[in-house]
Amino acid sequence: MPPPSDTINASASELHMLARRSELGIARKYAEDVAAAFGLDEDSRYEFVYAVNEAVTNAIRHGASDEEDMIHMSIVADSERLTFAVSDRGTFVMPEVEGAEVSPGGRGLALMASLVDEVDVHIDPGGTTVRLSKVRPPGLNSAQAQAG
Amino acid sequence: MRTFYIGDDVQVQDAGPAVAILVIGGEVDYEVSPQLKARIMRAIKAGKRRLILDLTDVTFIDSTAIGVLAGAVERLDETGGGSLSIVSEHEKVLQIFEITGLESVVTVHASREDALAAVAMTG
Repeated sequence: MPPPSDTINASASELHMLARRSELGIARKYAEDVAAAFGLDEDSRYEFVYAVNEAVTNAIRHGASDEEDMIHMSIVADSERLTFAVSDRGTFVMPEVEGAEVSPGGRGLALMASLVDEVDVHIDPGGTTVRLSKVRPPGLNSAQAQAG
Repeated sequence: MRTFYIGDDVQVQDAGPAVAILVIGGEVDYEVSPQLKARIMRAIKAGKRRLILDLTDVTFIDSTAIGVLAGAVERLDETGGGSLSIVSEHEKVLQIFEITGLESVVTVHASREDALAAVAMTG
């Protein structure tokens, strides 16, 4: 029996990096490259990369005890969506969402939620995982995206 | 990826002693936002009350940098008042200002000349 189509078209990659501010550019480049291969258009790629940057920044700020700690990232692309996950060993700090009021530290989660289709925060005693998903644009299948 | 930079302070004849123009470019993230904060706070401590940040070449600005800009507005308010004007036409940067609510506490202009004219009109 052939595997389900999701399995045929799914791809996954991982990136592990030190919890350092200087690594953020690497995380953005990783997200940009995968989003392009997935077939997101320029606007959607920007939004995806922006949300990834916020999630990784949050992991560096609150999920690491020092710059020798590691941040673990993965991206899974299947027939329907592109999902980024970042895991750290810390406790997620929930940014306050205060509408139009601007206050330091109160923007990260609201930004992520407004830029991707789904945000999931999973907290357990060992750490925190934040997942961000973008749905594949209508009319674009994974074979077309990889060919393009 | 475009490298972050902050240019030297821009001198504009007749702009007045309280006006400071900072030119910033590239990607402004958690790594570099402390540099941005230091330059803005240095200008405020030097007595600048009308800050113009030319972000024309900024292609990315994260939430920590937005926090720096919001903090600058608060510092100006706490120390006798002032204004923060931003120059940008980058669609995505402006979208981030809208989502975060920053646009409600700063004024955004399409060009440095427009920002200077607005500052001159408000004194």
